[in-house]
Amino acid sequence: MRETYGVVLPGMNLTDLTGRLIVIEGTDGVGRTTQINLLKPWLEQQGRAVLVTGMTRSSLAGKGIKQAKEGHTLGRVTLSLFYSTDFADRLENEIVPALRAGFVVLTDRYTYSLMARALVRGIDPAWIRNAYSFALKPDVVFYLRIGVDDLIPRVVFSRGFDYWESGMDLHPSEDMYESFRKYQTDLLKQFDVLAEEYRFEVIDASTDVRAIFDLLRDGVSRVLTAEPLFAASKPQAAEEAAPETAPQLAEASPAASSASEAPPQAPETPAAPQPTPRAAEAHRASAAEEKPGAKVLVNAAEGEPST
Amino acid sequence: MKRYGEHRFAGKLFVVEGIDGSGKSTQLMLLHQWLQAEGYGTVFSEWNSSPLVRDITKRGKKKHMLTPATFCLIHATDFADRMEHNIIPLLKAGAVVLCDRYIYTAFARDVARGMDSKWVRELYGFAVKPTGAFYFRVPLEVAMRRLLDARDGFKFYEAGMDLGLSGDPEVSFRLFQSHIIDEYEKMVPEYDITGVDATLPIEAQQAQMRQLVKTKLAQAKRLRVAP
Repeated sequence: MRETYGVVLPGMNLTDLTGRLIVIEGTDGVGRTTQINLLKPWLEQQGRAVLVTGMTRSSLAGKGIKQAKEGHTLGRVTLSLFYSTDFADRLENEIVPALRAGFVVLTDRYTYSLMARALVRGIDPAWIRNAYSFALKPDVVFYLRIGVDDLIPRVVFSRGFDYWESGMDLHPSEDMYESFRKYQTDLLKQFDVLAEEYRFEVIDASTDVRAIFDLLRDGVSRVLTAEPLFAASKPQAAEEAAPETAPQLAEASPAASSASEAPPQAPETPAAPQPTPRAAEAHRASAAEEKPGAKVLVNAAEGEPST
Repeated sequence: MKRYGEHRFAGKLFVVEGIDGSGKSTQLMLLHQWLQAEGYGTVFSEWNSSPLVRDITKRGKKKHMLTPATFCLIHATDFADRMEHNIIPLLKAGAVVLCDRYIYTAFARDVARGMDSKWVRELYGFAVKPTGAFYFRVPLEVAMRRLLDARDGFKFYEAGMDLGLSGDPEVSFRLFQSHIIDEYEKMVPEYDITGVDATLPIEAQQAQMRQLVKTKLAQAKRLRVAP
């Protein structure tokens, strides 16, 4: 049976949620969306139904949050509760029904990002944990980790600095660069604390898009072929959380290697597995639509020998 | 972030609670008149009135999109916006703030909808503790008669129709509001709320309110000269 971090919402039945809940976490501009756009077609090629969801996308509150943020007038507590409303709406109307129907739910951020943002803004840690404690525990959280020095060029050369991502509400006297640096440094510290507490699988996101995707793909394969976390014993999957063991585990399971269409990999070359032709194509297709910053990263990746 | 507790602001905060038809809004209006006449800078703050959130709540209610969880959270969001941008600044400025419904409304309704009682109380932990809180106690039959005299029927969420207690709005209203009354009664001792018998003549209730408010206004600023 599924579990939550605390309370169970009225009317939410946690039995028979047979799908998998896979969270991609990471700070602003780290490449979460790019990776999800690669993971989704890859999973669908294997016959898995996928629901992609993210923050501020609920039909109830999504638009309201966007409008309110444009006015820059939200208080810290208000913003946290607005996000919580949005999250509850998506949990009840998208995530739980999809899990019940056996989907793989890929979520672009989860409550952890919302908690990190709130904590940086001085919100009481016990209060924020309570506010999101109705969240379902996911099967796995992949945390795309990056240092602020690697993050800055990605943001500058793609979309530029955003008011909220730069924490301008916290450092109004600074310029966007200084504020972004400070804010993201604080945010990454909070993420590191959460990564430990909630046992994130940490993926180094300072490398290129394809290398990150290969790690994610192996991790996802492993989660999908493993015993469901919330059906049988719980602590087991958490023990397997170390990403460096992922390729071996994936290979050890015949279902994983055949399903991923990838040729079996030698365990000693886990950093550069051969991507499938289709996956590689998806890389380029998605990169073409991407902003310049992401494209630079992909080009750099393609300059490297992949075998 | 400040937690629920005694505030040290210059202003005062008085709140009225009770089910619809208990007469609490009438009493608050009379209190407002009196405080103004006495020269206090007095401001109303209504439940569910944040300009940021109100339209979302309205749309959610109209389309019956709200579940117990989102009903609870959208009202908490609305309340937080009013707390951060309206009530706290007014209290800092020394105003007498009057709230028609406060956190106790949320506790009663949300718990009646099945939300965890402790969780909801913690959720509203950022709220300022009122200087004085009044609960207008009224038998359900009396409240229903007053409501139906004033309008045609019961609203969807007010009758708890979202809970599927009964297809008949009147039956559903009765069940849901009885549960709310039970929750209010639990809170009267828990939060030291002053119960007022809402079947008494209006003037008698108002006299009781004014008497208590007077004792708590000691150091409040008179922002304007009394006429």
